[in-house]
Amino acid sequence: MNLYVYCLCEESPEPAAEWPAGVDGAAVRLLSFGRLSAVVSEAGEQAAAITDENVLAHSRVTAAALARETPLPFRFGTRATPERLAEYVSANEAALTAALARVRGCVEMSVKLLEDSREEKRSEVASQNSELESQNSVVETAEGGRGTAFLLAKRREMLGGEQARRRAEELAAWLAAGVAGLARETSVRVRPAGAIALSAAHLVERARVAEYRARLRALGAGRPGLRLLTSGPWPPYSFGEVKAEARP
Amino acid sequence: MADEEFQLDEDEELSLLETLDHVLDRGLVIAGEVKIAVADVDLIYLGLNLLLGSVETVDRVLGERELRVEQLRAHSAADVSRGEEPDEAR
Repeated sequence: MNLYVYCLCEESPEPAAEWPAGVDGAAVRLLSFGRLSAVVSEAGEQAAAITDENVLAHSRVTAAALARETPLPFRFGTRATPERLAEYVSANEAALTAALARVRGCVEMSVKLLEDSREEKRSEVASQNSELESQNSVVETAEGGRGTAFLLAKRREMLGGEQARRRAEELAAWLAAGVAGLARETSVRVRPAGAIALSAAHLVERARVAEYRARLRALGAGRPGLRLLTSGPWPPYSFGEVKAEARP
Repeated sequence: MADEEFQLDEDEELSLLETLDHVLDRGLVIAGEVKIAVADVDLIYLGLNLLLGSVETVDRVLGERELRVEQLRAHSAADVSRGEEPDEAR
């Protein structure tokens, strides 16, 4: 038999009046391992497919656990036999207990900083104009062959990447100062992709979530050209890292 | 600056993308046990593509939302200038 595993909890919470339906519509239940419990459902032979329904089902179950106490969520798609799960919990019990203590009483709040595409385009055009002027002067003084064009393109790419990195670092420092005292821990991804300059997750005490949101609103008020996309509360997906013991 | 904030359920499309961002890419893993069946496409590869796609979608959805708000404001201003009460539900 295979189990689909949603999250680990510190102890057996009171049985939920009703867990939401799990992945593939399966019934969700708790499986106790002494001081730790796993929230699981039965899984078939096939791995879970990535569908909207399954992803949301996984999220709803971990959110239901979060409503009771802060769990350690598993990544979508985690399956194990009951024996393998017991072995994992037993081998990593100290680390898992420490990770649960680390997030106890907290939730994860996410914020993405997006450059306003209109502002970004204006800045890009200005930058390209300046770069074109620079290129023209270089071409006038050097032979404008394919090699020169390639090197100029490469230089432009490097300059753009460096600018983006510096901008993201500046935003990360600004955000860190802004949430100082409110975020117990921070996990930052610099310039994940495209218009998103920065993606951050903050570990925030449950009682201070409203204060956190108000702080972000106030923070953003003075930054034209920047948009904040906040979401949460989430189970601590970004703060539950456990270096798993090697399988015996 | 627009301060976009949503809970799950508030904006279906953004909520799903944020959910994907969290559950596909983070969380505990039991070594060797995560296996996702989507035509044998590797999870990490698929996750990255979903995330890259989601960035563009987030930008588009926010842009469309801002446009709707601007249109609503323009309508309201026009109504006020004609001496009518603004209609929030329009």
